[in-house]
Amino acid sequence: MTSPMALPTARPTATGLPVKSRAADRCACDEGAAAASQLSRRTVLKAALGAGTAGATAFAVGDVSTQVSWAGSGWTGETLVVLSLHGGFDGLSAVVPGGDPGYYAARPNIAVPRATLLGLDQTFGLHPAMAPLMPFWRNGTFGVVHAVGQDNPSRSHFAAMQEMERAAPGTSVRTGWIDRTLGSTGTGSVLNGVQIGVQSPPSFAGPVQETTMNSIDAFSLIGPGDDRATWHSVLRRMHTGATATVAQPATTLLTAMEDVARIRTAATGPANGAAYPAGDLGAALAQSATLIRSGAPVQVLTIDYGDWDMHAGLGRVDAGWMRDKLVELSSALAAFATDLGGKLATTTLVTLSEFGRRVGENLSGGLDHGHGNAVLLLGGPVVGGRVHGRWPGLGAGQLLDGDLAGTTDYRAVIGEVLTKRLGAGTLSDVFPGFRGDALGVVRSR
Amino acid sequence: MAGDEAAQLHLLRRATHGPTPESRAEIARLGTRGWLEAQLNPASIDDSALEAFVRRFPNYQRSAEDVVRGGYQAVEWNLMFDVGRITLARQIWSRRQLLEVVVDVWNNLLHVACPSSDVWSSRQDYDRTVIRRHAFGSFADMLVDSARNPAMLQFLDNSSSRAGAPNENYARELLELHTVGVDAGYTEADVKTGARLLTGLRANDAGVSVFDASRHDAGGGTVFGFSYPAHAPGDGFRWIEAYLRYLAVHPATAARVCRRLAVRFVSDEPPASLVDRMAQVWRAGGAQIVPVLRTLFTSPEFAASAGAKVRTPQEDFVAALRTLGTGMEASGTAGIVKLYWHTLDSGHAPMAWGAPNGYPDVAAAWASPSGTLLRWNRHMDFAGGWYPKELQFKPANQLLDALPSTWGGLVDALALRLIGSPLGAEERAALLQYTGRGAGTPLGSGDRWVQNNVQYLVALVLDSPTFCKR
Repeated sequence: MTSPMALPTARPTATGLPVKSRAADRCACDEGAAAASQLSRRTVLKAALGAGTAGATAFAVGDVSTQVSWAGSGWTGETLVVLSLHGGFDGLSAVVPGGDPGYYAARPNIAVPRATLLGLDQTFGLHPAMAPLMPFWRNGTFGVVHAVGQDNPSRSHFAAMQEMERAAPGTSVRTGWIDRTLGSTGTGSVLNGVQIGVQSPPSFAGPVQETTMNSIDAFSLIGPGDDRATWHSVLRRMHTGATATVAQPATTLLTAMEDVARIRTAATGPANGAAYPAGDLGAALAQSATLIRSGAPVQVLTIDYGDWDMHAGLGRVDAGWMRDKLVELSSALAAFATDLGGKLATTTLVTLSEFGRRVGENLSGGLDHGHGNAVLLLGGPVVGGRVHGRWPGLGAGQLLDGDLAGTTDYRAVIGEVLTKRLGAGTLSDVFPGFRGDALGVVRSR
Repeated sequence: MAGDEAAQLHLLRRATHGPTPESRAEIARLGTRGWLEAQLNPASIDDSALEAFVRRFPNYQRSAEDVVRGGYQAVEWNLMFDVGRITLARQIWSRRQLLEVVVDVWNNLLHVACPSSDVWSSRQDYDRTVIRRHAFGSFADMLVDSARNPAMLQFLDNSSSRAGAPNENYARELLELHTVGVDAGYTEADVKTGARLLTGLRANDAGVSVFDASRHDAGGGTVFGFSYPAHAPGDGFRWIEAYLRYLAVHPATAARVCRRLAVRFVSDEPPASLVDRMAQVWRAGGAQIVPVLRTLFTSPEFAASAGAKVRTPQEDFVAALRTLGTGMEASGTAGIVKLYWHTLDSGHAPMAWGAPNGYPDVAAAWASPSGTLLRWNRHMDFAGGWYPKELQFKPANQLLDALPSTWGGLVDALALRLIGSPLGAEERAALLQYTGRGAGTPLGSGDRWVQNNVQYLVALVLDSPTFCKR
């Protein structure tokens, strides 16, 4: 039976009409628009020439003032990508503890057979659907931390997500950890924190201005068509002298849209032969790679990839829900790593999920909400080719209320990336009250 | 603008989700005081068209118990989404506008995130029987009913609290967020004692709110000045209710909640003189809400605060639809559903804030570039009648009764029609720049630019900083 707290089934995603159908509503036949668009074409041409010149040396987004403030913030120029596997990712099906007899005892029908596992070490093997990540395992840019959990474990999706993104258990802090991070490492660009997708994550809550965009294309005005320069100029002028709480975000937005438009113009599609799978995840990672490769000052980038709430019908090793999700996840991550090319050296991707799933399967061939989980790590800074963490075991006396215990706090994983790679100083503001252990999951710069 | 007219516009901008030509005519007829009194007595206002629309969502009237009986699969999260959709529709089309604004304040104060996992069966019940029922009544009654509603009991975990193993979540937020506030001077011991007192109050598996004496800690204690004796477990709810009513009229609650109302209606930093007078009325009236609102709206501080508030992106979105005269869809709910997804995806849907503290209500918290983009793009959607197509949009070139004789006159007339007051000089110049014409250039009635492009000009008028003012 599905738990009453299961996530809802899929709903229609973002409902904004595609730009194309909107354009069909516009009338392009009149004299005024023609005159305006001639004007704008000239302006655009000039802008494009300017960008081209700048682009010969460094990407246009990294303008002089931004470069100066990068230095001031202590940011190293590296990027943390947080891939949120919302719904409760079953890390035990992905990074399988095939060497732990408790695993097969608990899952008589849905376990991944030992013979099919892609061997990682004596205890663990990868689900065969994750084969696309094996080259990165072997070259040391893909690794895992197992048995990761959070304090105050909740089995409610909503509460667990909120708590994970607030990342301040036992305090009244109401902001999110990414916002607090950017509060210390941010350079003042709204591209410091970017969510590719709809709806800002709770981790963005707080005073720093982050950007949420469904795609690079969608981060623009829908009104002007080809006439963007005119509209931007009109909007800038309209906000001259207006109250700061209105004018400042408006002018910041106009600049950011112009920066992103240059990225869009310069983008040439996936590099190095990277082939993304169809679907939202591939699209979001391709957008992310474009942004990171452009040199935009993206410090923390977040993507949601949900639909892991497998209470029933998880499937078998060679077919079904879990296998299909892991194929998509792994091929998208492999494409992302390939696409980043040299930027992989300065990019660290971390997967997080609000909780793992119950060790024992239920009567519906699925798994209810659990606790400890696997965190996947991808990127040049990663100490890959290893399953990190302390394995608590799946024996009867080793479980926590029937769940994998969490022996590593997820904040320790993130914190290490922030301090070793992004240039964050102390973590006392980011994770109040947390004293993280040194894990060695990423290298120092 | 004449003084009366300015005062009327000011009141409409604050006490509604945005002025409309109809509301401006109405307040001109009734005067500010007459209009305010009518709004404070919502039953006196015919809202049958909106209520008929709300009946398109039949599940909204169901009790939590009834929804639980039907099972999760029957509704999933849709009933919670419906509560958001209904709220959005009311903000746009209800004629009881002040009620809707005040409901929004209470929804954020006694916040139960909608949607959120544990209130799939109960959020509609909370909306009807707690927030709306008491919005213009007694805050003490609202607090008591919120404490025992299944939605609050689940959202803040009091359901899982019991003698010997108290869960402090609700007990803490009751003090910190719902009543006296974090700086009131209560201690951790107060939170712990409060949690013990509140044990036994829970929602059972049938979705029914119960007081379960067997889970109640019947020991005596003192919480933030409220002392209660060791008691028979069966008397537990009597002492819980007494505690809640004590908190509702506590001076710290009066000051904090009145300040919150003043932040909503007056300014982000409201004058202490006004908050003090409101708090006195609160305490004298036993936390009756209407006298406090009357004190606020008739105060000189309110009158002096025109232009001091900025709309949140979501308020802006609603205000744009209202001033454009957009009508509800003729049948079905597809249009409001699309509007709701827009607000939810933008992170601004009514009541959808994830944390227990509710949406912020000050401009600095909303000064967001992404929010600005959403605002501007929705203006274009609505001005052009592009999306959602199901709504009844008025064509942009029919917004004005008569076409002015000059281009300057066109910009001025649109501003007056959409905002009610003139634009600033730079705003006006910028809009003329968009038209590519001089202020004094004659405008012909058959000008094709106007016929085809006025929708863009309308969107840009709505993008102006003047339209942002609440």
